[in-house]
Amino acid sequence: MATKRKVAKKRSKPARRRSASPKVAARHAVSVATSPRYSVRERTAAAAETPLAVCESDKDMQAMLAVLRNTDEPVKVRLAALQSLQAASFSVLAFEACRGDYIATLRKVADDPDPELRQRVLGLLAREKDGYAQRKLLEGLHDPAKALLPPEKALQLLSYDVHADAYAAARAIVKKPPNEMARREALRLLAADATAAPMFEKLMRDKNELREIRQISASALSALKPERLQKSAREILLDKSDYDDIKATSLTALTQLGDEQALAKDKALLTSVNRFRSGKTSAKYKQTARRFLDKYDRQE
Amino acid sequence: MPDATVAGAVSEPQFAALVDAIAADPARRGQLAGLLREDHAIYAERGTAAIARMRGWILLAMARGGVSDAALVFVLEELDSGTDPYLVAAAARALRSGRLPHASLTPFVMSALANIRYRDEAVSFERYGEYAVSATGTSPVRELLATLAWLGPQARGLLAEVEALRAPVGGLPRKFRIDVERALAAIRDGDRGADAAGDCCGMRPAGSIGMHARAAEATPPSRAIEAMVLEDQDGTKTTFKAFFCGQPSIVVFFYTRCDNPMKCSLTIAKLARVQAMLEARGLADCIRTAAFTYDPAFDLPDRLRIYGQDRGVRTDAGHRLFRAAEGNDALREHFGLGVGFVGSLVNRHRIELYVLDAVGRVAVSFERLRWDEQEVVAHASAMLDGSPA
Amino acid sequence: MDVELQVNNSAAADARFLTWAPSPCRIRVTNPSGVTGPTVDVRIASVSAASGGELVFRLATTGAFASSLTVSVPINGTSVPFFAAGRFGRPSVANGDVRIEARMGTTLVGSLPVMVRIRKNANTLTTAERDRFVAAFARLNNQGLGRFADFRNMHTNVSSPQAHGAAGFLPWHRAYLLDLERELQAIDPGVALPYWRFDRPAPNLFQLEFLGVADALGTVQFSNANPLQFWRTDGVQGINRRPLFNTGSAPPGLRSEAQTLALGTQYRLFRTMEGNPHGSAHTSFGGSISSIGTAAKDPLFFLLHCNVDRLWAKWQRQNGRFDPALAASYDGAANPIGHNLPDSMWPWNGVTGNPRPPTAPGGALAASACVSAPGPQPVVRSQLDFQGVVSAASRMGFDYDDVAF
Repeated sequence: MATKRKVAKKRSKPARRRSASPKVAARHAVSVATSPRYSVRERTAAAAETPLAVCESDKDMQAMLAVLRNTDEPVKVRLAALQSLQAASFSVLAFEACRGDYIATLRKVADDPDPELRQRVLGLLAREKDGYAQRKLLEGLHDPAKALLPPEKALQLLSYDVHADAYAAARAIVKKPPNEMARREALRLLAADATAAPMFEKLMRDKNELREIRQISASALSALKPERLQKSAREILLDKSDYDDIKATSLTALTQLGDEQALAKDKALLTSVNRFRSGKTSAKYKQTARRFLDKYDRQE
Repeated sequence: MPDATVAGAVSEPQFAALVDAIAADPARRGQLAGLLREDHAIYAERGTAAIARMRGWILLAMARGGVSDAALVFVLEELDSGTDPYLVAAAARALRSGRLPHASLTPFVMSALANIRYRDEAVSFERYGEYAVSATGTSPVRELLATLAWLGPQARGLLAEVEALRAPVGGLPRKFRIDVERALAAIRDGDRGADAAGDCCGMRPAGSIGMHARAAEATPPSRAIEAMVLEDQDGTKTTFKAFFCGQPSIVVFFYTRCDNPMKCSLTIAKLARVQAMLEARGLADCIRTAAFTYDPAFDLPDRLRIYGQDRGVRTDAGHRLFRAAEGNDALREHFGLGVGFVGSLVNRHRIELYVLDAVGRVAVSFERLRWDEQEVVAHASAMLDGSPA
Repeated sequence: MDVELQVNNSAAADARFLTWAPSPCRIRVTNPSGVTGPTVDVRIASVSAASGGELVFRLATTGAFASSLTVSVPINGTSVPFFAAGRFGRPSVANGDVRIEARMGTTLVGSLPVMVRIRKNANTLTTAERDRFVAAFARLNNQGLGRFADFRNMHTNVSSPQAHGAAGFLPWHRAYLLDLERELQAIDPGVALPYWRFDRPAPNLFQLEFLGVADALGTVQFSNANPLQFWRTDGVQGINRRPLFNTGSAPPGLRSEAQTLALGTQYRLFRTMEGNPHGSAHTSFGGSISSIGTAAKDPLFFLLHCNVDRLWAKWQRQNGRFDPALAASYDGAANPIGHNLPDSMWPWNGVTGNPRPPTAPGGALAASACVSAPGPQPVVRSQLDFQGVVSAASRMGFDYDDVAF
């Protein structure tokens, strides 16, 4: 009999949603999303319909927050509640009344047992430049036993705020990386550190470095010391033994950001680029050469 | 230059204990204001969030013992241009501690409400460094509304604005209705008493003004600063002496990575308005303007130029954005800059504008509080004929 | 004999862009040699390159369009007005891939390359269209030094009340996208902002050559040939975007287009789409795009909102909601400042200080050589009649590939 009642409920829900106004439908969706009587699938689907209700009803918002906080709830349902609250937060004026509770709940969930929930919540807080989240992330970098996230993720989240005092931790990781991804994220973070330009120049020229690291270095140098990027890019393009991928990055950089007067007069460079364009490399890399030459190799 | 080793030796809990000890001692309580200088060694090499925790704790300590006149400007600064909920809440609480209300304080409270209302969140004042993980307790909006109630009849000049806080459109959320009504009642109750129009403590409180006349104590520029090489937004180099000596000038400080829209971005936008005013009065060739970056390593000429351009700043021989390519030490000493660093990056700075006389001495400074363009132009104009504004 | 053709009543090359909405054009005789009589009959038609755009014409402000038009033009140089538009369903793929030709008999007497410039589904752009868009966008960013910084600064936590959570959400973002698009067109006039149709799979969008491929961390990777590899905002390089779905499919949980359009025929009901699908699309990712204060750091934001705007445009077309005087076209309940029909919109109005944000980045809304609307300081109501249905002067110079005039 209980099963039959559940089926009956399922049949009636879609009909009610079709004729209901968005507000009414949203409120009903909250009641489904927050009720353990429904399946995980039903609840997560309903959660997607709740942002409007969350903004307009304190009761509904509190109900969704309670689901998010409750470690006994299925993780998928909690994640769906989080996403719904997040979507609601875009309606800033309407969300004003909710924000305090929302931020407090996010902090509470920041050390949740579920890693995906932790990551999302810490990401949200990090984007708000929340001191609580930053402190947790930095603590984890200094003491892996306290880490709530892998170091590469912590570094990525700390990069949302240049003032988060993460440079020292990033430099330590570049020196002694726990893994390659952490090293990469540390370098990406340090691309905002004005004193790191010499390091990036060295990395960009190092043929033994990974493609991605050299690419990050080129981008970092373009912001920190553009004249050094131009010099390094030129040297890479003149070096027949260097790789095509970094040549393509160098060409893209020079096309977008180079000193137009200097480059147009640089015959050795133009010859090298012409050689690259007509050589045995992939079509997309040849295209970077073509764009460069279109810009700088104008026949008078 | 901040002493990094001192900072490194003091943990945040140790700092909190130090503050508590100072606050508990009436003979030392006045030292708390000194701890709020941005360039204090205690803040060196710390991130902005840590500094917010530390400064908030100092403000709360002041709230327990009463805010001195010397410290009042730090409280008002936070209300005027602060965006950190913890600091704004602490400042709101500190304002109403041990002082008499004054009408001149009301605009600061209303301004803070407008700035922080969409970033309201629960804050905890119980223990140092504690962040609220539940929404019970206080928040910057709640503290500001309590301060409005404390202001009472002194806030009558802005009664219409306070009433707007309960409007169905544009008003604060319903959960603050009781606090708003309490504030309104306190403001109106004063009408029943005598002379609510007058302020109850005479002149505007000392320490509530950001402008300081400095001519009496100004020292001539040192050799170091005169010789300092400056690079402008076009990469052109000059020296401090060559640019600043010979006519009065208006100088502001900023950096392009400042993420407080009430500070650097607004400072430069307002500098553009100052330039327009000078132009309109035919003074653009007699009074120079300059904006220095706190962050010369990152703020290369292109970055300076575009930042200024995007905010309407005029640049020519007499109006420029500068970086001190060899470092800011001489500038810091000459101006007494209110800025701290973590590495080469600014971790906290105050709003600061200086009017220099024709030999480059600081004649007038506008510190911490948002300055008025007309007032600045008036002071700079006064430099031309040697009379005070 | 020679004639001069003008599009959008201008001889300027940057005015030669058309949409589905009719553009005012002119023809006049500049060299009458070989012609007798006071007037000459000239046939106007379009000639398209393969896969190029196609045009239709009409003489008056109303009436049916046709593939060609014969006009009687005085030989004394007086211009004759007519109207041209893109044929719905046949947009251009490149600038100048369709020409307006004027013939006297079989003799070609005038020719003008034009473009039917339309906002398209990003997933179905040609390689050339994609590359031009990406190059222009990267140029606008110019590794953090370009005009894009203003667009990023227009959409922050501080400014968010100007544009979210009330009726002005859709108009504000329409103006925002238009401003950005015009800046892109100042770099490459052949570019139009594409949209990410988020209720359908868009695998071509999330590629190394386009908006990048996120690794497990959510750090977006680009090919070495993609100029977006130098993307920088707030002084920090790169884009953080972690899809919470398989990018070969559509994100789950989003209202479909049909469901969105069925929210209601009144604007106050339709605008609830701000929650779902708009908010849900944002939060289908981890990373910058999923928080309001950082969302505009990610170029995908603009394609997401282009789709939001397309949905509004489609709803307007379906329900005839272009006229602000019609109550159903907008939410007339008292709104906060910046959200009422007569309100000017920040930042283009240059107004700063409470209740507006402290600064107004970006200046006035970019102008267009093709149209005069909405003007440098648009008001909310100016955003409704984007096709010039109510008043031709309100036309804003953009259209969507699947929203007819």
